[in-house]
Amino acid sequence: MAKDNGINRRDFLRTGAAALGGGLLYLSAGGQAEAGSEKLMQTLTSPTTFPSPKRLSDITHALAQRGLSGEFGRATVSAGVKLEDLMDVTGVSEEMRCAHAIEFIAERAPLRILPGERIVGSATYNEAVHHAIPIYNKGSVSHTTLGFDKALRVGYKGLRKEIEDRQTRGGLDDKGADVLNAMKLCLDAAGLWHGRHLKQLSELIAQSSGDEKAGYERVYANLRSVPENTPTTFAEAVQSLWFMYAFQRLCGNWSGIGRIDEMLGPYLKHDLASGKTTLDEAREDLAHFWVKGTEWIGGIEGRGSGDAQHYQNIVLAGVDAHGNEITNEVTYLVLDVVEELHISDYPIAVRLNSHTPDKLLKRIAEVQRHGGGIVAVYNEDVVIKSLCKFGYPLDEARRFANDGCWEAIVPGKTNFIYSPQDTLLMLQKALPLSGDTKGNPDYPDFDGLYAAFAKELQTAVDAHNAGADGYSVGGGPAPLVSLMIEGCIEKARGYYDRGPKYTVLAPHMGGIANTANSLLAIKKLVYDEKLLTLSEFLDILGSDWEGQENLRRMVLSRIEFYGNDSDEADAMVKRVFDDYTSMAAKVRERNGVLRPAGISTFGREIEWRAHRTATADGHRKGEILATNFSPSPGTDKIGPTAALKSYCKMDFSNLPNIGTVELKVLPASVKGEQGVRALVGLMKSFVKLGGCFMHIDVVDTAMLLDAQRHPEKYPNLSVRIAGWSARFATMDKNWQDMVIGRTQQAV
Amino acid sequence: MTTGAIFDIQRFCTHDGPGIRTTVFLKGCPLNCAWCHNPESKRRQRDMFYTPHLCIACGRCAARCLHHAHLMADECHVYDRHKCALCFECAEVCYSGALAVAGSDITAEQALAEVEKDRVFYEESGGGMTLSGGEPTAQIEFTRAILEGARSASIHTCIETCGFGPADRFAELVPLVELFLWDIKDTDETRHLANTGVPLPPILENLRLVDEAGGTTILRCLLIPVVNLTEYHLDGLAQIYRSLSNCQGIELLAYHPFGDSKRARLGLAASDLACDAPTEEQISRAREYLTDICGIDGVHSSA
Repeated sequence: MAKDNGINRRDFLRTGAAALGGGLLYLSAGGQAEAGSEKLMQTLTSPTTFPSPKRLSDITHALAQRGLSGEFGRATVSAGVKLEDLMDVTGVSEEMRCAHAIEFIAERAPLRILPGERIVGSATYNEAVHHAIPIYNKGSVSHTTLGFDKALRVGYKGLRKEIEDRQTRGGLDDKGADVLNAMKLCLDAAGLWHGRHLKQLSELIAQSSGDEKAGYERVYANLRSVPENTPTTFAEAVQSLWFMYAFQRLCGNWSGIGRIDEMLGPYLKHDLASGKTTLDEAREDLAHFWVKGTEWIGGIEGRGSGDAQHYQNIVLAGVDAHGNEITNEVTYLVLDVVEELHISDYPIAVRLNSHTPDKLLKRIAEVQRHGGGIVAVYNEDVVIKSLCKFGYPLDEARRFANDGCWEAIVPGKTNFIYSPQDTLLMLQKALPLSGDTKGNPDYPDFDGLYAAFAKELQTAVDAHNAGADGYSVGGGPAPLVSLMIEGCIEKARGYYDRGPKYTVLAPHMGGIANTANSLLAIKKLVYDEKLLTLSEFLDILGSDWEGQENLRRMVLSRIEFYGNDSDEADAMVKRVFDDYTSMAAKVRERNGVLRPAGISTFGREIEWRAHRTATADGHRKGEILATNFSPSPGTDKIGPTAALKSYCKMDFSNLPNIGTVELKVLPASVKGEQGVRALVGLMKSFVKLGGCFMHIDVVDTAMLLDAQRHPEKYPNLSVRIAGWSARFATMDKNWQDMVIGRTQQAV
Repeated sequence: MTTGAIFDIQRFCTHDGPGIRTTVFLKGCPLNCAWCHNPESKRRQRDMFYTPHLCIACGRCAARCLHHAHLMADECHVYDRHKCALCFECAEVCYSGALAVAGSDITAEQALAEVEKDRVFYEESGGGMTLSGGEPTAQIEFTRAILEGARSASIHTCIETCGFGPADRFAELVPLVELFLWDIKDTDETRHLANTGVPLPPILENLRLVDEAGGTTILRCLLIPVVNLTEYHLDGLAQIYRSLSNCQGIELLAYHPFGDSKRARLGLAASDLACDAPTEEQISRAREYLTDICGIDGVHSSA
């Protein structure tokens, strides 16, 4: 073989580490990384795979680093006192006790104002990080998004007036009068906390000089009249929103933030037009909102950083209540900030529709490439349709944000909670096959078996409805929350006492992918091909596939399951989906409680292992199965387009509480302009195909390392480098190491 | 019904032409490149992949095999390729994936049905179908049938070709192919022949013919440190590029030795091309050389 024929004029050669260079890596089929809560907890650890532009100041970066390092979270302190230590509570109602506790928090909580910060207000009590109201020492509120939009618009002043007007109007029972007084006391407390900040800022201004002093002066000026009053500038609006949010957090409430671009966009537009600010200045202001969002990282010992999300979700873009697209400069600035700082503490969901501007899709794609799954997308065309079909008026449906995860709710008006159930458990009961007991099934045909499963499903839906009838009546006090939820002031009833305009207890089914896959496997093996009897199959599952590795492998390797764009497999999922959604739709509302159907597992695929037996779709007891509405790990053999198509075969207009698909792609498959185009194409296709919520994860080397340790979890993870392609599991360790090395260098 | 041999159909390909694409990999190639990345693409016939570490020693292959190619001894499985008749009966019952068939015969209609599945993604991303291989023109009837089918279904068509084959085959593809991804393995004639087993001039002649007939091309060039990572080669590429009227650019690809992992699974000896992948820096220098020194627009090294 001729090597170089001596014709090198200058040598490009330099042997060294193999670099990916022009090579490509594709993930054409998905194994999934350990999902759910573990995934939620590794948010900040994802390495950056694409370089970010640097637009923000060094000061902002430095503060972000401090937050991300856990410095502020670790510095959170316990309030160290109980309400009873501070006041005589005899004869004080629970509602007022809670409000007094909030007053004490406002009075006593340590303040943290740092040089260089552009906004202030910190939730410094550790009880809050643990989802409790400090001093009152009872559980706080989460799974909703408070009415920050309205509070920003009318100020605390406006809320106070609304309460007073209600009091003036009268006709209140004792409870109602009590609830309104408690809300008012909370506003006073918020004012107290605000006053402490201004006082401390004055002191800091007096003690400092130069840039630091100027910084404090700027903060003082922006904070002075908000949140009491309506902001007059973008900087004030950012401070006001954060200050209201931070006080809620300080008092233990984990709210979502909602549609930040809709809230802040008009202020920015005005300031830009009048020359009061620039995009660069505004980005800097907004970045500090993100920096502040990291302040609980490290606040829970031994759980790393991912615990810091605390349901502080943000929703971007989409139409407003009148149907006009709200995408504005703030939308893009948020994406800039996330791209540059890699702060994942505000999970972001962008509302896409069939008219979403290409410019926005491209920016989302560019940010998604950094991995970490920070930016997910809704297809609002379908979500709004589903909410209307469910019974929400169109303008309310168009307002949707989420509860802190991705369930659609009307923000600022909703008490929301969901109740999770595992459909695999229902199948186990129907077969019957549960735990140690093996049944004696007698289903002459598959439809008989399916009917038994459907009956269990109906039983679960009925049980949900029975439980939901009495939900949230006479519950505990939450006056600070009630203040920001429409309906509570008007009705003079608390958040947990049917005060909110909407009270929602959503049924959520989990495990549908593996349930349908198991049904398919039983149908094929027992009823179609008659390879074994149901009884024999159940014995095998009861003994956890013991001695049946071949059969198990056959099931895994020869049956096409959900996630492969296989009509047969997807039809089984659709059958379960349709049955579930039509059962749930029979009782949309009863006793004042809305019950929109959702599909989720969140992290429960981990805890559910305890009651799940081996499954007919080839899994042993104890394996982590499918998350949410995604394909089961390792069974989506064809790649993201096929997985997305399978998912989109469902009619999501019947699933008003949403079901999520997670797609995983390797960094190199989304490299370059071509990669951005591919991600944009995936998102547009997702909208066109009628999906409802999609999470694209650009995976990192951690997943490849996991695949190396647990090849059985990733039988079809295939990597592609330039023209070469192979399944990862088929490569020996040396080759795998090379792929991992290349993936690392692909950055 | 036209039948062809393929070894894979991959959906969500993002670097085989514009947009999201489905790539059909055809089996059989007239070249015999020392650096071949996909050795299972060389033969038109099916091949057997054997991956010992996936084997669970179930013994089903041994029970099924009529040629005694599989032996079970002390619960260990031994595969003797010399006795193997490549009937692939064993692979049918191998559920662990240790024995797997590389290649299958399908009709053009079947291939098109698979391609059709991601239509929405092509439409939303400006993507389409790519025929790759192996060498698509080596199965010209099949290739033509798929391309015609795709065109009549309004699916964008690309073909990745080594450019070697009878000129009339390339001429007839011009109206059916919207973008030719044209491999130029080397620009040195001696090395080309030595390393690929075929001469360079007919490839360039076919390229000229396609270009003159109005075919749009992108040159795809694998850079291999011990072979062609030289200014001389880059000058040669620039010269070819400049001689074409309808060439959109040059795509630089980095050689990597991963083909050996597949050669082992096919029972083939490792390549005697003792060479590492080029470094990122080498690739970007090559890209800069083409862009700055040769003054060529449209040089990419992302693929």
